[in-house]
Amino acid sequence: MEIMRLVVAGTVGAGKSTFIRTVSEIDVVDTDRRATDETAEIKHRTTVAMDFGRLTFGPNMALHIYGTPGQQRFDFMWDILIRKAHAFILLVAAHRPHEFRYARRILSYMNRRVQIPYIIGITHMDCEGAWSSENIKLALGFVDEKNQPPIVILNADERDTVIQAIVALVQYYISKV
Amino acid sequence: MAINVAKLESILQNLVTSTSDVQGAALVSPDGLALASTLPSGMDEERVAAMSAAMLSLGERIGSELVRGTIDRLYVEGDLGYGILTSCGEEAVLLVLADKKAKQGILMLEIKRVAIDLKKALS
Repeated sequence: MEIMRLVVAGTVGAGKSTFIRTVSEIDVVDTDRRATDETAEIKHRTTVAMDFGRLTFGPNMALHIYGTPGQQRFDFMWDILIRKAHAFILLVAAHRPHEFRYARRILSYMNRRVQIPYIIGITHMDCEGAWSSENIKLALGFVDEKNQPPIVILNADERDTVIQAIVALVQYYISKV
Repeated sequence: MAINVAKLESILQNLVTSTSDVQGAALVSPDGLALASTLPSGMDEERVAAMSAAMLSLGERIGSELVRGTIDRLYVEGDLGYGILTSCGEEAVLLVLADKKAKQGILMLEIKRVAIDLKKALS
């Protein structure tokens, strides 16, 4: 059985832990604790080390999916997780445009450490004030039509859309190697 | 009642200065924010806080997943010394950094004592 390690990165409250809970076949290993910083305005609990889930993908591949904490103070976990990853997805909440710059920072943090395929996953598209994927793409700095990662829209609570995002990531990875 | 930060700081300060071979101590929230600390120079408080919380949460998870029960403390033992993490009530995690020369029995007793004082100051 081939193992492929995927990392789910992204801003606070974008849906990283939910993403993994939605598709994992095993009980997710989570490490959430009560939030006491500005995160508490968005949600009650926040990941402080990592999430881990597993998904069988076809007859001979298992996906190991690792979720990162969102806050910058945990960037040592980003580093630990990304170094062993085959590919990653960056989740961005469409309705919190003030975080796009931070999302960009996460992206450059990852890309400075590893050169692995990644895609952008846009969540919260159905929320009030959501930006279009076209505009989010520009805000994330993807101006040049070439050299753009695939962009998928998903709802971290809906299994179908999360699976689609994972398929897109795996396919993109396969096309790149 | 507001948390008495000065009191927390002084308890930690006291531990570091009065226990030989203890090099630093930090009290952090379970989500990785510093509450009080006395750390060796050059060690970033924010980073120490986040690492302590990440470590303890994973340790506790291992404790439950691998049926080790409730975790009393986590040890990181290197050739230069120890990092010991203890849960300090619901609201805090205590990290103590000690030199390799430290006597473990004394360290454990001191940590236990300090944890009680800190819990009192936090409630």
